[in-house]
Amino acid sequence: MDLLTLSLIGGLLALDGTSVGQFMVSRPMVAGVLTGWLVGDPVIGLLIGGILELYFISIFPVGGAEFPEGGPPTVVAVAVGTTMPGPAGVAFGVALALLLSRVGSVSIRLLRRATGRLVPDPVRSGVTPARVVWAHMAGVGLDLVRGFLLTLTGIWVGLGIAPQAAGAWPLGMPGTLTLLAIGASIPAGAFVGSLGGWRKRGVLFMAGIIGFLLASIVL
Amino acid sequence: MRTGGTFGKVSVFLRSFLIQGSWNNRTMIGGGFVFALLPFLRRVFKGDEEGFQKALHRHSEHFNAHPYFSSLALGAACRMEEEAEDPEEIRRFKSAVRGPLGSLGDAVVWVGWRPALVLGALTLALAGAPPGVTVAFFLIGYNVGHLTLRIWGFKAGLERGKRVGDSVRAARFPKIADTLAAAGVFLLGGLVGLAFGKALDVFSWALLLLALTGGVWGIWLGSLVGQKGWRWSFWAVFATLGVVFLAGWFG
Repeated sequence: MDLLTLSLIGGLLALDGTSVGQFMVSRPMVAGVLTGWLVGDPVIGLLIGGILELYFISIFPVGGAEFPEGGPPTVVAVAVGTTMPGPAGVAFGVALALLLSRVGSVSIRLLRRATGRLVPDPVRSGVTPARVVWAHMAGVGLDLVRGFLLTLTGIWVGLGIAPQAAGAWPLGMPGTLTLLAIGASIPAGAFVGSLGGWRKRGVLFMAGIIGFLLASIVL
Repeated sequence: MRTGGTFGKVSVFLRSFLIQGSWNNRTMIGGGFVFALLPFLRRVFKGDEEGFQKALHRHSEHFNAHPYFSSLALGAACRMEEEAEDPEEIRRFKSAVRGPLGSLGDAVVWVGWRPALVLGALTLALAGAPPGVTVAFFLIGYNVGHLTLRIWGFKAGLERGKRVGDSVRAARFPKIADTLAAAGVFLLGGLVGLAFGKALDVFSWALLLLALTGGVWGIWLGSLVGQKGWRWSFWAVFATLGVVFLAGWFG
């Protein structure tokens, strides 16, 4: 799969994140599998996307809050991660995606500033139908370009570092997954804390653990 | 009564999928709101250029709501424009609904519906479902709820106009949000239990003990820091992965 096609997919997923539809195709799990299919390894795509999904679980884009972006960074993570051996690819892909998700967040902030200058201001200037449509579609177009560039740059930089990083990862898959699971436990705790806290939800959380643990042992 | 016609209303509904296209800190989704209403307003104010200009002005002002729930405000605005409601009344209505439509949508969709479906899909994947089934489960399940909400909201807005609050109250969204949040927490626990059960067969006891100890500490820390938890985990994990890579590089 070539760089430009993957970057275009990154751009389209960026649109799904906020500007168009929000059908959740841009969720890390979906973006991971989609990219995995395109590069020939949907299982690794699901693994990387699923891990990232856990890191994103406690992020609620309420009001005008800034939040890390999931879609394009996951495309980068899977596209780059699948070029490396299993555990190194997963670790490097996740690290790259976490960093790029923050870069994506900053780029969204800049996009919103730029769009603020484009949309008609009913207090200061005239609002014409042409201006409304132009400003709105320009906002959508800028978001597409932003996602495209973020993915393109991420893959380009990632592929440049990947050959050096591939041999440097000392852990096997169990050690890698343990490390990433410990990291994911922080947003998991934040998720329970945000949804009513332990007094209200602790019993349900424990019931889930015990029930599914027993099921996995028995079945 | 002036009318925007069926085509105008369908256009508004379809354009509502792009309502956040020009999201900005000044008018938030105000630009998207007027963009969505544009074809409808053209029909309602056919032959009344001054009325059309004033309508464009009032609907391009600051507005914000959850994107799915904004269809409710769009539907109600269509009804109010058709009924030639007082412009100040329309402004007051939009000001009154933007807070509740935002917080309800956040609670029902972002905090309830989406995490529950994500965790359900991940549980399915961990239980052995192939990637295609996992993604299909999430996308179909999520978007059935998403589209139902958008369609219901737009219809309720069109039918009830400025009294659309009655429909929202009758739908008992806070109760739905609470049930979904409970389901999400249960499924998160389930995911942890299932992952641990799977790891029992593959991981060494040392790694299991490390995962258990680190996981308990992480969950405790996360519940303390709450909504800021993701920032902690992002930087902590990024730094840890970087250190391990460097250790491997030099070691």
